[in-house]
Amino acid sequence: MRHTIRGSKLAIAVALLAAMLIMLAAACGGDDDDEAAPTAPAETDAEPGEEPSETGPIKVAIMTDCEGAFAFGYELDIGGAQAAFYEYAGAEPVDPATPSAGMNGGTVAGRDIEIVGYGCGDDTAATAVRETRRLMEQLDADIMLGPLSGDEAVAVAEYARDNPDKTFIIGTAGSQDPTLQIAPENVFRYHGDGAQWNAGLGEIVYKRLGWRRAAIIMDDYSFGWTSAAGIIADFCAIGGDITHRVFPPLNTTDYATYVQQLPSPDQVDGYFWVVGGTGTGSALQAFEQTHGPLDPTQHAGNLFFAFLGNFEAVAPRLVGSYVGGFGTAPGLQTEQAQAYEEIMGRWHPDLPAADGFVYNYYNAAWALIQGLEAAGGDLSRLEESLPTELRSGYQVSNGGNVTLDENRQAIQDQYPLQIVEGDDGNPTVEVIGMVPGVDQAFGGLFTSDSPPPGRDQPPCEQRELPWQGQIQLVEDGQVTEEVLE
Amino acid sequence: MRPAAALRTRIAPRLGGSPTTTTERGLAVGVLVLAALGPFVFSDYWVSFVLTQTFLIGIAAASMIFLSAYGGMISLAQVALYGIAGFALGNMITQAEAKGLNLGWNPWLSIVLAILITTAIGLVFGGVASRSFGIYFLMITLTYAVIVNYFFGQVTALSGFSGISGIARYAPDLVGGGTDRTRLYYTALIVAVLVYVLIRFLLRTPFGVALQGIRDDPVRMASLGYNVALHRTLAFAFGAFVASLAGILYVFWNGQIDPATVGLAGTIDLLIVAVIGGLARVEGAWLGAFAFIVINNYVRDVTVPLVGGSFKTIIGLVFLVIVLVSPQGLMGAWDRLMRFPGFRRRADAATETAPGPTAGP
Repeated sequence: MRHTIRGSKLAIAVALLAAMLIMLAAACGGDDDDEAAPTAPAETDAEPGEEPSETGPIKVAIMTDCEGAFAFGYELDIGGAQAAFYEYAGAEPVDPATPSAGMNGGTVAGRDIEIVGYGCGDDTAATAVRETRRLMEQLDADIMLGPLSGDEAVAVAEYARDNPDKTFIIGTAGSQDPTLQIAPENVFRYHGDGAQWNAGLGEIVYKRLGWRRAAIIMDDYSFGWTSAAGIIADFCAIGGDITHRVFPPLNTTDYATYVQQLPSPDQVDGYFWVVGGTGTGSALQAFEQTHGPLDPTQHAGNLFFAFLGNFEAVAPRLVGSYVGGFGTAPGLQTEQAQAYEEIMGRWHPDLPAADGFVYNYYNAAWALIQGLEAAGGDLSRLEESLPTELRSGYQVSNGGNVTLDENRQAIQDQYPLQIVEGDDGNPTVEVIGMVPGVDQAFGGLFTSDSPPPGRDQPPCEQRELPWQGQIQLVEDGQVTEEVLE
Repeated sequence: MRPAAALRTRIAPRLGGSPTTTTERGLAVGVLVLAALGPFVFSDYWVSFVLTQTFLIGIAAASMIFLSAYGGMISLAQVALYGIAGFALGNMITQAEAKGLNLGWNPWLSIVLAILITTAIGLVFGGVASRSFGIYFLMITLTYAVIVNYFFGQVTALSGFSGISGIARYAPDLVGGGTDRTRLYYTALIVAVLVYVLIRFLLRTPFGVALQGIRDDPVRMASLGYNVALHRTLAFAFGAFVASLAGILYVFWNGQIDPATVGLAGTIDLLIVAVIGGLARVEGAWLGAFAFIVINNYVRDVTVPLVGGSFKTIIGLVFLVIVLVSPQGLMGAWDRLMRFPGFRRRADAATETAPGPTAGP
């Protein structure tokens, strides 16, 4: 009996202690705004769920990848975005060598800018949604700059559609769906999608290399499909034929079985490569093991062919290959381009200014700053105030302005590249053409009612594209009036 | 005495790991009351993200713990099964979305069909694996997980590697989801409670008792006339049913599902949840889910000194500590605490003479 009485008292004490701990956890669960922020936190007078104050800080989240195939983009994305805040909002980097260390200060339209967090995605939609909810709900960000990757942007666009009180400016994601098939009014993209980036590549290999029949190997996810769609549309429009389509999953490490599905070099004129992240080198090496040494006149790639560091063992054998663009133009000799590169060199000299990850996130942040200024810091008017024309470093046509279409998607100049031998004997890339004013619709091929790019979309059809026959040659960084014949 | 009754007497002390102390019952009531008051006590983020996710991940983990603790079957297929339910529902319920079949069927019909499809597939999976034990059973279920992942990745008509999105807006009003997160919270809570009660009930039926006997000694049970393979198959199907409920709640909560959700990483995550919570007691499912989600959420910006990394490093360390210090997980640690004088279970008296049951194969 004595044991039972003591046991009961002890039981009650434990239960009370547990209840107190639970209540304490509940109290902590209501204070998510106290989460450590990459910026020196300003005073916050808006609790989660309340209408944002007009005088409190504007909370910005930067969504990028820290794992998976595009983990290398983490510091590039953050550095690009924050450089715009340094330049135009008076912020300063905590550590110029490490953008993710955060930034101090920053004011736009009289309101402090607070970077509440960096999203750590892994190029999958599930993680992107989880990180987005953490940034936008737990940390109560008002605006997101990002995400980085195609599938992530599709998921974020769906989230944005259900959360119209937040604003999203895509970082570098190149999937088509977010601004065409989904296209919520609070999602903006100031760079081309994956298809736009490849405008001109098909015409170049058709005219310069005489390709008529080609195979294409593409990462089996939304950006891979979109990027391939641009190549297919461009090549087939001018009369080429895509004979084989092969789809290795993203993050594949052994490409042998997929390369086996490609035709042998004597059966086609060339191969288009849409294999990215850390897979480019593995895929190319698997091809060599199967079909012998690479002939640069038989291989063309999307933007990932420009990331020579990802496949430096193979890159010397691809000198001469043509490469699709990323909306950037390394080496472009215009005042606007040099002004942009000077800004990046001033704040983050270690980051490659002409890298698309840096450039696109910079433009996203720069657009945000302009929008906030135009709105007077009033977030309720931000979306209507975001610029429909953005003066971008590597834009030449339209007075140097990227324009947004009716779906808030950029119409942008694109720059096909070529791998060449640099002065030091190592392979490098240089811009060889400029395709003016490329729009997402590809001359009507892609619409909000058309199926999104996929394994079999688009079909290979001959048609007229707005920029066919209008690719201007670029020599030594100068855009000439000469057109590709 | 009939065999089943004799069996029940022998293993009665281990039945369900049921909360029998005043402390546990009081705590259970307290937690339920707190959960019921959740939207009034916690922030919107905690309600919609942390707690709702705890309930649904806990349901999935409960299906795993049910099989392991009471069937002696450690299944790595539970995430795959909940993925099947999610993909099935996504394809049936959506219309005019970018991916999937977009059948646009009635939401309630779609939910029922998703459950039936998943349970039927669980029956088939279980039938194939039922005659295997131990590591062989585990490897077969791992194969199921890989097959499901690649199936939905390769069959682009049903998903593709980009997955299906925009599902939440088709959720029935009664269930919630999309913008009605409070209702989904209560739906997930109610389903979690019902799953728990159902598992406890099942364990006390002749089927459940026999299952536990099969866990402890399948040869003896077979010699007593029990169809061991059939029992294991049916148990696996029940686990699939429970997992399907988690999958349905998941797609209404997350709005989308893609093959990466049900890949190897997701499978391992659920195993970690179950191990942290405790593979021996079904309550561990929700405790493990809560711990995992909170750690996942609040340490993403933390870098571990010297070692580097963040969440995955920390969860790995937590997992290691638990395996070494308390192999039965957090619930195991709780059980040890309850054995202190004053907390001893009433049922413990019966174990002083009956030999403890051995772990299943």
